[in-house]
Formats: sequence, C-alpha cells, structure tokens
Amino acid sequence: MEELRKKARELLERGAVKVVIGYGPGSAARTRAVFVRKPEDADQLILNDQCTQNLSVYLTKPEVKTLGKPAIVAHLAGLRSLVQLAAENQIADGQVLAIGVSPEGKLAELPDLKAVEAYLAGFRFELSPEEKAELDKIERMTAQERWKFWQEQLARCLKCYACRAACPLCYCERCLAGNNQPQWIPVASHQTGNLEWHLIRAMHLAGRCIGCGNCERACPVGIPLSLVTHKLGEEVFKNFGGRPGLSSQQEYALGSWKLEDKENFIG
Amino acid sequence: MSRIGVFICHCGENIAGTVDVVKAAQAAAQFPGVVQGAEYKYMCSDPGQSLIKEAIREKKLTGVVVAACSPRMHEPTFRRACAEAGLNPFLCEMANIREHCSWVHEKSEATTRKATELIRIMVEKVKRNKPLYPIKVPVTKTALVLGGGIAGIQAALDVANAGHQVILVEKDPSIGGHMLQLSETFPTLDCSQCILTPRMVEVAQHPNITLYSYSELESVEGFIGNFKVKIRKKARGVDEKLCTGCGICSQKCPKKKIPSEFDAGLGKRTAIYVPCPQAIPNKPVIDRANCTYYLKGKCKACEKFCPRQAIRFDQKDELVEAEVGAIVAATGFDILQTRDFPEYGYGQSQDIINGLQFERLASASGPTLGAIKRPSDGKEPETVVFIACAGSRDQAKGIPYCSKICCMYTAKHAMLYKHKVHHGKAYVFYMDIRAGGKMYEEFVRRAIEEDGVIYVRGRVSRIYEEDGKLVVKGADTLLGAQPVEIRADLVVLATAMVANPDAEALAQKLRVSYDPYHFLSEAHPKLRPVETNTGGIFLAGACQAPKDIPEAVAQASGAAAKVSALFSSSELSREPVIAVVNRTAPPIFSTCTACFLCEKVCPYQAIEREEIKDRKGNVLKVAAKVNQGLCQGCGTCVALCRVKAIDLQGFSNEQVYAEMMAV
Amino acid sequence: MAEFQPKIVAFVCNWCTYAGADLAGTSRIKYASNVRIIRLPCTGRIDFMLLLKALDQGADGVIVSGCHPNDCHYTAGNFHARRRWIVFRSLLDFLGLDTRRVHFAWVSAAEGAKWAQLVNSVTEEVQRLGPYHDYQKLAGAGVE
Repeated sequence: MEELRKKARELLERGAVKVVIGYGPGSAARTRAVFVRKPEDADQLILNDQCTQNLSVYLTKPEVKTLGKPAIVAHLAGLRSLVQLAAENQIADGQVLAIGVSPEGKLAELPDLKAVEAYLAGFRFELSPEEKAELDKIERMTAQERWKFWQEQLARCLKCYACRAACPLCYCERCLAGNNQPQWIPVASHQTGNLEWHLIRAMHLAGRCIGCGNCERACPVGIPLSLVTHKLGEEVFKNFGGRPGLSSQQEYALGSWKLEDKENFIG
Repeated sequence: MSRIGVFICHCGENIAGTVDVVKAAQAAAQFPGVVQGAEYKYMCSDPGQSLIKEAIREKKLTGVVVAACSPRMHEPTFRRACAEAGLNPFLCEMANIREHCSWVHEKSEATTRKATELIRIMVEKVKRNKPLYPIKVPVTKTALVLGGGIAGIQAALDVANAGHQVILVEKDPSIGGHMLQLSETFPTLDCSQCILTPRMVEVAQHPNITLYSYSELESVEGFIGNFKVKIRKKARGVDEKLCTGCGICSQKCPKKKIPSEFDAGLGKRTAIYVPCPQAIPNKPVIDRANCTYYLKGKCKACEKFCPRQAIRFDQKDELVEAEVGAIVAATGFDILQTRDFPEYGYGQSQDIINGLQFERLASASGPTLGAIKRPSDGKEPETVVFIACAGSRDQAKGIPYCSKICCMYTAKHAMLYKHKVHHGKAYVFYMDIRAGGKMYEEFVRRAIEEDGVIYVRGRVSRIYEEDGKLVVKGADTLLGAQPVEIRADLVVLATAMVANPDAEALAQKLRVSYDPYHFLSEAHPKLRPVETNTGGIFLAGACQAPKDIPEAVAQASGAAAKVSALFSSSELSREPVIAVVNRTAPPIFSTCTACFLCEKVCPYQAIEREEIKDRKGNVLKVAAKVNQGLCQGCGTCVALCRVKAIDLQGFSNEQVYAEMMAV
Repeated sequence: MAEFQPKIVAFVCNWCTYAGADLAGTSRIKYASNVRIIRLPCTGRIDFMLLLKALDQGADGVIVSGCHPNDCHYTAGNFHARRRWIVFRSLLDFLGLDTRRVHFAWVSAAEGAKWAQLVNSVTEEVQRLGPYHDYQKLAGAGVE
C-alpha cells in the first residue's frame, strides 16, 4: 500500500499523469474508486484484498476523460480490459499509465500497451476449478431445468442497468437499450425484456468480456451473471481459440472467421 | 401518413388457382395505412402497370406493394413503373405469393391466409421504406481477359476493336490454348493452327491489347467499373526484349527428355523451351523444376550460346497492378487422363491414349509428324478402337453430364486415322451420337458411309494387354447386347471434359459462383449465358460448360458485347442498397462509438474512418463512414454493430423489425 | 381436434436460399405452408435479435438459412453469420431456451428440393414439440 501511495505521489508530482484512479475506503469496510488529482491526496489510496473491482470501467467515462491522462491501479482483469479497450480504439497507446497489481500484490509500472501485453503474457487465464464446477452444474441440468433456473434468477431483474454501468466494455454513449425506433429490448422489468436484455448484452460481450465480475458485484439483486460471462469466455475459447484482452491486435472473435470453423448444427 | 397501394396479381391461374386473390385484396384493403387493395390478371402487363401508375397519381400513394411472383423476377419492372408515375422506385416492394405460396401449397384457406400474411409483412416494411437515389461511379474502360485460348482471343479482339484497352493474361508460355494442340477441326477438317494462328498474331500486334503470357491473376479487388487487379508475371528466365526467338538455347540444352505438355505427354521437350513452333510470343521459358542449373548449379549452356545474352537465371516473378472496368473469364477446360480409368488399366498401357494425345499424333507438327503410330513401339496400328463417353454421362465417376464435343471429335479421329492408314480398321464404341450443330450430322455420316468407320453401340467394360495387343471387351446392344471382343493396336478414349484444377480457386478470387463440377456459373441458364452473378465479370468458352469452338467464339463475342455496353458511358449507376453510418447534431455527431469492428468485418473494405472537425480543425470525434462506391450492401456490419449506428438502406433495422412484427 | 399448426419464421439470404425457395416454387414442389420468409441480402445481415423477436412474436420455430460456406455472394457474410450462430446457439442452450426450435441450414440457389425438405422437417418437428408456450408465456401484458 505504501509503495502504491509513494508511486502515485511521484507520478502526480512530476506531472506524468493528471489523475490516479485507484481504490479508496468506502462504506462499511467496502472499497470504492478514488480519483486522486493532488500529490498530497495520495494517502487516500488503499490496496488490500477487498479491492476487487475492475476500475478500468472509468477509463471511458466522459467525465473522467476530462481530467486528463490517468494512471490506473489495475489487477489482471483491469489490465485485460485496458488492452481490450485499446483493441477497440477507445484508448490510444500511451494515453493511460497502468499500475499493474499481481495476484500476490506486487506492483509494476506499465507505461504503454506493449508493457501491459508483455506483463500479461506471463500469466495463464483459465477458469478456476470452482468456477468450472459452477458452470458444470448448470450444464448438467436438462434444458427445462436450465429454463426454470434462469427464469427464477431473472425474475428479480429490475432493469436498473447497473451491470451495464459497471462493465468496462459497455462504453456506448447511446446504448441499444435506449433505442425505441425500433425497440429491440423492452424496457420494463418484465420477464421477456429481462431475458432479452441479458441475452443481448451477453452476445455483445461474446469475444470481448474478460470476466472481471464487475457486473455480478454491481447487481443489487444478486443475479449470478458470472455464470454467463464465464460460459461466454469458454465457448469462444473452445470454438475459436484465443482469449480477449491479451493483445491489442487480437481479432474480435465474432468479427473474424476461419474456413475451418466447425459446428454440428447447420444442415 | 402512409398511403399504401396493394396490387395482387392473378398471374393467370398461377396464383389465382390456389389463392383466393379477391379475398386477399379485400383483406389487404383493410390493413392500417393501406388505401387501395386491387387485384388484376397480369400485373406485369401494360394494363397491369397502368393500374399501378394511375393509383399512384390518383390516390397519391406513398408506397406500393405488388403481390405476385418473386422479386427476383419482376422487382425492376414494377420499380420502373412506379418511377414513371413519379414515385421513388424504392418505395415499391414485392410480396412473393407465387414461388413461395401458390406454387408450393394446395388450394386451401391456409394458403390464402399465408398469402395475406406475406402481403401484410411487405406492407409493414414499405411503410418504413425511404426514397433512395442511384449512386454514380466512374467506369475504367479497360477490360481484363483471363485466358488466351480461342474464347479469350476472340473476346480480346472484339473489345479491342470496339476501341477499348484490353489486358490479356495467359498462364501458359504461349496463347492458343487447347485449340492450338488440335490437328484438324470438325466439321470442315481445316487445320486448327492455320485458322487460329492469324488470330493469335492479331492479338499480339493489336495496339489496344497488352498481352501478359506466362502470367496469372494474383488478386482482384474492387467492383464493377472499378477493379484493381494484380497480375503475376512469372519469371521466364529470359529477357523478352532481347530475345529474337532464334531457338539456339533449346538446341543446346542437354536436358532433352522432359515430357512435353503441349504434346500431351507423347513428345519430349528441353528444359528451356518454346512449347510449339507457332507459339506466340515466340520466346522460350526455362522450366526451373527440370533445369540443371536450378537443380545442381551447373550447365548454363543456353546462356553460353545465346547470341543476344538474353538468359537471366535470376529473373524474379513480377507483380503488375492494373485498373480495369470489366473482367472476362475464358480459362478453358481440362480433360480426364487415362490413369483415371481403372477399368482400362489405369493408363498403364502406353497404347491407350486420350483425345488430346490423338490430336498430337495426327498433327503435322506433332511428335510423329502426323503419322499415326503406337506410342509403345512406334509401329502403325492396324486396328484402332475409339471409345466415346469415357467418363462422361457416368454417375459412378461423378460426371453425369455430357461433354458435348466427343461424338464429333471421335468421328473426326476415326476419319483422320482412316485417311492416313487406308487399310486400317476403325471401331467406335458409342452410346448415342450427338451431332447437333451445323453440318455435324453430315460429318458423322461421312465417317460411317465414306470412310468405313465401324460404329458399335455399346460400352467397353475392360481393356487388357495380351501378346502385344489390347483386348477390348465390349457389347453390341443393337445385336441384343452381344459380347464383342476386338484385339486392337491402339485405343483412344474420348475422355470427359472437366474444369481446370484451379477453377475453384479462380472462382473464389473473382467471387463468382461455380457449380459442383467447378464450371463457372452463368447468371441465368437461358437468358444470361455470358454474365455471372457478380457485376462486371463475364464468361466465355468452356470454363462455363463443355462446348465446341463455334460456341466458344459466339459466347466470347457475346461477352465482349456486354463489356462494350458497360463501357458505353463513363459513369455507372449503382443500386443504393448500401450501408450508412448515422450522423446527427453536435455534440453527439454520431452514435458510432468508433470501435471500428465494422471496418474489419467488411469483405469489400468499404468502411473508412472520418474525423469530424470544428472550424479550427480540431478533431471533435472520429466515426465510421461507408464508401458509397465500394459497399455492396451485404449488411454484415449492420448485424455486428452493437449500437446500431450503421444501417442498411433498403433493409434497414426499422424495415426488417416491422416485417418481423407483422408475422 | 384440429392439428396444431406451428408458426415458423424463416430468415433467408436473397442470393441462395431465397432463390432456392423460388426454385422449389418453379419446380412446383409442395411443402408445408406454415413458413413465412423474410428476405435479407445476406445471412451476415441477420441480427440474432431478430430471432429473439420472432419467438417473442409467437413463432414456434425459426429457420435461418443462407449460402454454403465459400459461396456467399458477398464472399464472407455467411462466415460471420456462422460464428455468430455458434455462440448464440450455445448461449440459448445455456439459458434453457429450446434449441430444437431454431434451425440453421445452408441452402443454395440450386437446392429447391432441399428447401422444401427443410421446411417440412422443421414444421414436423415443431408440430411434435407443440407451441412454444414457455417463451410465449413471457410475452404479452401489452409489452412487445
């Protein structure tokens, strides 16, 4: 933690960045994002195992962009979001300084995309055995059981769109959900609209989602969204290879194709 | 407010026989937004079209739905009628109640209900149609002809004589194609090279034709009127500007036993060679796979003896770029080899040959100088068996079609043999005799009646070698399937005409359709035989389907006429069914998030990046933009865009959503 | 009791499957009349949201069909569509939707008979499965 505060102070003092986006104390022992603009405020930054949110979501918010070049405290998920945003032209190379935090808590200053990609190359990104078991449980159900399970879960959805607000890759200024000519997604908190909202958001994230879990953490009614995001990651990896967020040159899975793409359901 | 007119066609009995058109018209008239529901016997006829035009004028229609045949049939007809009445043609749609309804269902209430629903779907679409205007693109008045056989030569000459530039690309070292390998042509028995070589010279000397021989098409980009092509000029190993065609290099070349492709494997050539005496251009090429210098680094005899020092061992392939407005594919055909016939010994006997090989034997400039000799021992054959339909019309070989030319050239081969070996016996095993062209039937009769060729109606089941002869076992069906055995000295198989081995790859490069046999597909089997479904790309010759020389020439001239029509104005009107990225007022400018995933997805690279600037030149926003000249209107970008900032005119999100909701 | 007549919506590409369906028509091949075809220029244009909307609107079955791989009139639209369908279908399955009701096929302009066969087999299967009550129960209450 001290090391982080020192680094932040130093970066702000020499003007390398205009703002440091990191974790600060929130309410009831939770953490929240802080935007440190003055070196003397660097003590606001904390770093402990409660700091799990993916802060990269702030990189595309217009209010944050006006603050100037940011440094961002990012775990592996945050770094991957950064790379994916760069791959989608939302961040220019060198426009963001990443302070990488390894799973053990070690810091690394990563000034550009190349550094971030090199750093990420040293890690493996697979689902943990627990995460795999969760998915397995759902996949072993019959289709009817799965329908019932998801209908129960989605019945609680309020259409608050917190999942969208928290997702680093949902940066569209005018989200499709707001369209009413035509209205693709019914807005009311209604079973059809709930299912379609989540299905469509999942499809928009397929091949892009890096599984940071912000959406599940943000959901006020506890819908197990990580099941969907993990499933997406596995499907894309299984069928097309590659994982998003590791290289800014990585091709978008649903935007590219191979002659050898295999399926067993097209007649 | 919408004022839609619905016009239902009886199409005689084609629609009215199964669909209750009167009831459908009444139902349609009740749809919200529809102010007229009419039905008429033949909407596409003049009075039918007048019905629409009057309604547009009198009822001030804002949209028209014609419920009739497939839009692939008559959409242009009705759109033109609307345009003539002052309604933007893109405000007219067709509901397909014939091919998709009346013709495929029985007469019933369900069928009428389906027709009515199909009409309602299109009414809902048309309410969201927007007027669209054609896009004008420039046309480059240069044609690219792929293939220098008779079809390619004819097409090139016709386009060049019409006053346009032509680039002719031929993959072999010389133009002329298979026709140059033939001895005499049916039905006149004139010498193939004699009639072809003047055309070849004309091509070489024509001021409007640029010939790239020993070259292949590397890539094609762009679209009709605006193609960008790359041509790979393969390295001959010879400086063509210095070479005089004297031939000393081939004489001095020590590698003399390479099977000659031009002689269909029956003759030999050297490693540095000109394929035949009449080659155009008359410049040699070095076969790097067989040349001692490339294999072992030694020899260089040709370089030593060349009086003009024209040999260039280190010559590299050259890539030439060109802009053309139209492409004619005239890449010709191939034939099955004798090794493709297990029943005839896998071609292991040298004395079982195919049609092209016989042509080379009969040709005065061939390996035997025109004498018919057995390839195995050089003796003159006393008995020759010709087998027609070898591979063609054979479902088991995957070739159910007829190769069209074999009946005629088999008769020709038998006649040529008899003319050269008067006492010889010629047998032809046939299934049918297909001699439909002008003077063709008379030609075959001549073979039978004047030259004494013996025609046996039946197939040959086996051929095997015995005591230096070939035992041919067949049947004579006109004698009740009586077994026939002939001990022949030479057997000629009229093998099936097939597509070139790289036809599929070429078709994919050109983005034209092809059939299961890899013949290139014409746009319509009867009415559009020289066009493809890809705008600006035309077909000529056997690459489209088996055909003889007169047909190839006719088709080539047809393709040239289409090219000339395309080149008749300097601007082409494009259908405005293209994608558009939205633009709106500041500060949004566009809902496009500039992720540019659409840019990567477009098969035509039609999406560009636009910087939206303020008056001082500061970039306010970057957004995607569609190039109107390149976009072909597939809509892949539209389905991909998460935010739906890009939409497809003519099949917009609103239109398709409305169709969906009307189901 | 009247046999249940399912509502089948088909999203097809103009150059292959639509033409194939036309060919079925010119060849007068008879098939079940439950299908409603929506014409699009290419399978690449088919938004997966359209399939959802179809089910929303009461379709009991959906057919999606286009040109065979390598034969797309626009060269690559069907390749993109294929990838999209692979992910979409696994997602539908994961969320418990009945993937037996959503059929994908490649039908070329020369395959009129295949089109008729496809429509008949899908209609038959969906008839057997019955109306898609699960999905249709969600919709209604005035919300489209």
